Amino acid sequence: MAKTMKEQKSKKQGNYFKDFLQAVWKGDIWVKASLLIMGAGYFARKQIINGLLMLALQVAFIFMMAVYAVPNLSQFGTLGTVQFEQVFDPLTMTSTVNDYDNSFLILLNSIISLFFIFVFLVVYIHNIKNVYKLQVMKREGKHIPTFKEDVRSLFNERFHITLLSLPVVGVVLMNIIPILVLIAIAFTNYDQNHMPPNALFTWVGFSNFKSLFTNSVTVTFGYAFGKVLSWTLVWAVLATFTTFIGGILLAKLINSKLTVFPKMWRTLFIIAIAVPQFVTLLLVRNFFGDSGIVNTICANIGITDLLKNIGLVHPNLTYIPFLTSPGWAKVMIVLINIWVGVPYQMLISTGILMNIPQDQIESARIDGATPFQIFRHITMPYVLFIQGPSLITDFVKNINNFNVIYLLTQDVYVTTDQLLANSNAKEVDLLVTWLFRLTNEYYNYKIASVIGILVFIICAAFTLITFSRMMKGDREEVFQ
Amino acid sequence: MKKKVCALLLSAAMMACGLTGCGGTDANVGSSAPATDSKASSEASSEAPATDPISNLIAATTGTVELTVWASEEDQDLTKNLIADFEAAYPDVDFNITLGAESESTCKDTVLVDVEAAADVYTFADDQINELVKAGALQSVSATYTYDVATSNVAGAVEAASVDGTLYAYPMTADNGYFMFYDKSIFTEDDVKSLEKMLEVAAANDKKVAMCVADGWYIYSFFKGAGFDMSLNADGSNSCNWNEAGGTDVAQGILDLFATGSFVNMTDEEMATAITEGTIAACVNGTWRAATAAEAWGENYAATKLPTYKVAGTDTQMSSFSGYKLIGVNPHSDNIGWSMLLAEHLTSEASQVARFEARGLGPANINAAASEAVQADPAIAALAEQAAYATPQRVGGNYWSPAQTLGQILSSGNPDGTELQELLDTAVTGIVAPVQ
Amino acid sequence: MNAKTKKLFSKIGTNILLALLAVIWLVPIVWLIVTSFSGYSGINVAHFFPETWSLKNYTAVLFESDSVVQYPVWFKNTLIIAIFNCIISTIFTLMVSYTMSCMRFKGRKLLMNVSLILNMFPGVLSMIAVYFVMKSLGLTNSHLGLIIVYSAASGLGYLIAKGFMDTIPVSLREAARLEGASQARIFVDVILPLSKPIIVYTIISAFLVPWGDFVLAKLMLNSGISTDWTIAIGLYNMLNKSLINKYFSIFCAGGVLVSIPISILFVIMQKFYVEGVTGGSVKS
Repeated sequence: MAKTMKEQKSKKQGNYFKDFLQAVWKGDIWVKASLLIMGAGYFARKQIINGLLMLALQVAFIFMMAVYAVPNLSQFGTLGTVQFEQVFDPLTMTSTVNDYDNSFLILLNSIISLFFIFVFLVVYIHNIKNVYKLQVMKREGKHIPTFKEDVRSLFNERFHITLLSLPVVGVVLMNIIPILVLIAIAFTNYDQNHMPPNALFTWVGFSNFKSLFTNSVTVTFGYAFGKVLSWTLVWAVLATFTTFIGGILLAKLINSKLTVFPKMWRTLFIIAIAVPQFVTLLLVRNFFGDSGIVNTICANIGITDLLKNIGLVHPNLTYIPFLTSPGWAKVMIVLINIWVGVPYQMLISTGILMNIPQDQIESARIDGATPFQIFRHITMPYVLFIQGPSLITDFVKNINNFNVIYLLTQDVYVTTDQLLANSNAKEVDLLVTWLFRLTNEYYNYKIASVIGILVFIICAAFTLITFSRMMKGDREEVFQ
Repeated sequence: MKKKVCALLLSAAMMACGLTGCGGTDANVGSSAPATDSKASSEASSEAPATDPISNLIAATTGTVELTVWASEEDQDLTKNLIADFEAAYPDVDFNITLGAESESTCKDTVLVDVEAAADVYTFADDQINELVKAGALQSVSATYTYDVATSNVAGAVEAASVDGTLYAYPMTADNGYFMFYDKSIFTEDDVKSLEKMLEVAAANDKKVAMCVADGWYIYSFFKGAGFDMSLNADGSNSCNWNEAGGTDVAQGILDLFATGSFVNMTDEEMATAITEGTIAACVNGTWRAATAAEAWGENYAATKLPTYKVAGTDTQMSSFSGYKLIGVNPHSDNIGWSMLLAEHLTSEASQVARFEARGLGPANINAAASEAVQADPAIAALAEQAAYATPQRVGGNYWSPAQTLGQILSSGNPDGTELQELLDTAVTGIVAPVQ
Repeated sequence: MNAKTKKLFSKIGTNILLALLAVIWLVPIVWLIVTSFSGYSGINVAHFFPETWSLKNYTAVLFESDSVVQYPVWFKNTLIIAIFNCIISTIFTLMVSYTMSCMRFKGRKLLMNVSLILNMFPGVLSMIAVYFVMKSLGLTNSHLGLIIVYSAASGLGYLIAKGFMDTIPVSLREAARLEGASQARIFVDVILPLSKPIIVYTIISAFLVPWGDFVLAKLMLNSGISTDWTIAIGLYNMLNKSLINKYFSIFCAGGVLVSIPISILFVIMQKFYVEGVTGGSVKS
């Protein structure tokens, strides 16, 4: 399958450039002139406005190249050479700054420039093909659309271009360019010792990847990465499945015929999630603090001593370390996540359960199936079928579940694993919270970028594998 | 055919992005603008007889002077008044000074994300000075105008505000260290000389003694007290000898303290509640908790230097970090001259006195600190007593997290039973790791 | 034991179980509410219910603004940001989901795959680059900048709405086509009216974003001036080490106040939410 798709793709790419060359080769003088002056082909076919727009685009591009792209790209190889220098004159109380290079801005602007150049090339190639198409149309005596017709088609057969243009610009600006910048940073030495504007950073190749996967005598990134990664995966699996199952069970319970006032119960659970998450999580963190209210109550009614006796709490402690010892904290985080996540899942499951084909359940009941069997063999498969794809996205979301972990453990949890501490990681860290702390407190952007790329690869690989397994055939067409 | 309009839209996108580009270059021009400005003004001033820089500066200032100041949340009201005084002192100049809130203890985290966007004048704790200087976030105090910073403040404060002999900040308070708070109704003055004795008395009264041992800032006092060193190297990494012979005795000493059950590890916030609730009768903390303790214990509120603790059977005086709060000027400020004058104003003798009167913060200014009211303050007196055993805080960033973990392990009684030597070895490896 | 009493027992059992679960779910919320009425401003660790009751936290939050508490201003800031984010995000999401669901064009599959992959990059990491992009546009420390940051990439979140539109019978669109309606007309006159639940869902979720985000907001609004903040930054700031003992119950009061409008919105829109989320995957 994959192979044929690849072949198709490469064939397609082959066509892409073949079409272009063909257009250049077979095109008349106007098409060839369009290679130099982008509007030329349109002027020849009396599409004056289109031609002017193309010309304007070309002028804008050349201008952009001259004042913006070239100055930045020329420094892209070194990321700047002139260090920041400042001289203070005590007599006038002013300081003089030299014309210094800012490595980060050079990197950012270069990437934006490269992006523009790429877009321009695509437009350029399409332009030639288009102009050639016009030539063919004219030769065959077909009607060449006027500018008005072109605009009108934007609301009909080419409506997708109208609809997508703004969202795509937004995604490019806020998503693609930042991601490209960060991928680039993974190959530089941007860290606390090389922070713009006062210092320069430069390219270092793959050495950051190397240091993440090896343990030197002093730096334990490799060890920390393995630990954090395995907890991230365990957490993602636990968080996804506990809330999923919990939500279905709760929905079943509320919708059961035995339940009185189902609406009331549902509303009560919804209230718990209607409070903004950061408020509840920060609250719960103090609720379960080492000297918090739960600990006071547990100590008063003897639970703390009981747990000490059965060995769940270390005898030296006078409190239950809900969020401060590795084992307890991990369990508590999963439990609190159930608390946060189950009502959401309950809402969704309620909707799905209402749509379960009742005839199947009825016939199963007549055949003498127990409620558990019905749940196991009819309800679950149905819900799984409907919710499968969203389970995958939930899993990926949980891998990147910054809020729950950060709000519950920041400033509270102190790691007891010294090797983790030496890499500024904690047992309860997910890869994302670790990289956040590396950037926010230690300014280690280079290692954080490497971790970010790895998180991305893990999520992408997981999604691609499960999606291709789960989505046999294209479901989106089935329902239409 | 589709492609043409596609191209059209892309051109629009490109124009939009072209604006981005312009924005980018603008920013560059903006940051180099002060350079040309200053050149112009220096030419202008060289014509005039430049004897008094301040009147030069006033003459050279046209338009409104925009300044941003960051002070801690607790200091907002006081700083607002001091700024008003500053504006009144220069009636000919039109100021627009904005006051933002930024905690001194985490100021570096905000400043270093984007130095150019940080405030012109900001307050911070002296432990951050190395990283701030390294990132070029502090303008060196190469000249002073309204008072002499280096001679007016206590030597320790000036040292804390300097890196490699260059003064980089203006000392604001000299009270950012820690000492022992206690309840006089429970402990006698003799009791508080030894930590073991204190724990005994506390246990007899069903109270606890608290200290945040799971924190690099506090655990230092045990090791330094026993003669072990931890210091900063030129490249920002640390030197540390805690794992040398005898280090395990210190670790065992800490374990023994916790084994009594009366010594508890608490964070500052938890201590505040515990003091009010009456569960602890003494704690190691700093002047910022003085008000809480004074309120809870009333006339029984007392403070003193840190006690001794037993290392391999010998009473050993606990050391501590001396701490100072400093004011720095951002070299990326558009109005460096005015920023420096404002920083001087905020740290002048009068301002330090006002700060003590308003908030009880111990002045770094020699004259202000010598006043009777300051001398009579128990917390500040305790700090002065502890000063003999305190060392300035010169620590690289890699110290904190390994030391915190060491403290956490020891304060929870070494639950895994790791060999103490191994604990110390691993901690030291992390502490001395090269800077990334 | 006959069948009737057995049924009665299981009925009682079910409801008791539900009541127990509801208690577990509501305990922290109750603690939030009672603490907000506490006369003591720090964290009360000894008693669940406050020893002294008072309204002072609410008056502090609403009427006594100091440098730490600027609640009315934060509320206004967050509301403005939420409204604009909600408008832009909803429009973007619907535009993209209509395109992906109802139109067929070259590159559609490619765009869908690219968006799937983009969604997987940890947003926490690209934040710092977003900050510098916004800074070079001169939009840091402005609410406009924050609106752009929240809404610009919202087109990527089109999957749920697309799933819903996929369930709208294609015959409706074809009938409109035969009558000569353009794509724009079909979008506005046929698909949008049928997508009410998912539109409401999109509006709510976009509206809620600024109320809950503090990481991005804190990075973008870094002037330290508390009147610029949103509710989330302000409330998070109150739990700073140096402030928590003075402001914890005010934090609770602020939390209750922000929850009230959101809860009401949430409960009323619950129906749409369920329909919207499941409608996308359920054949109706």
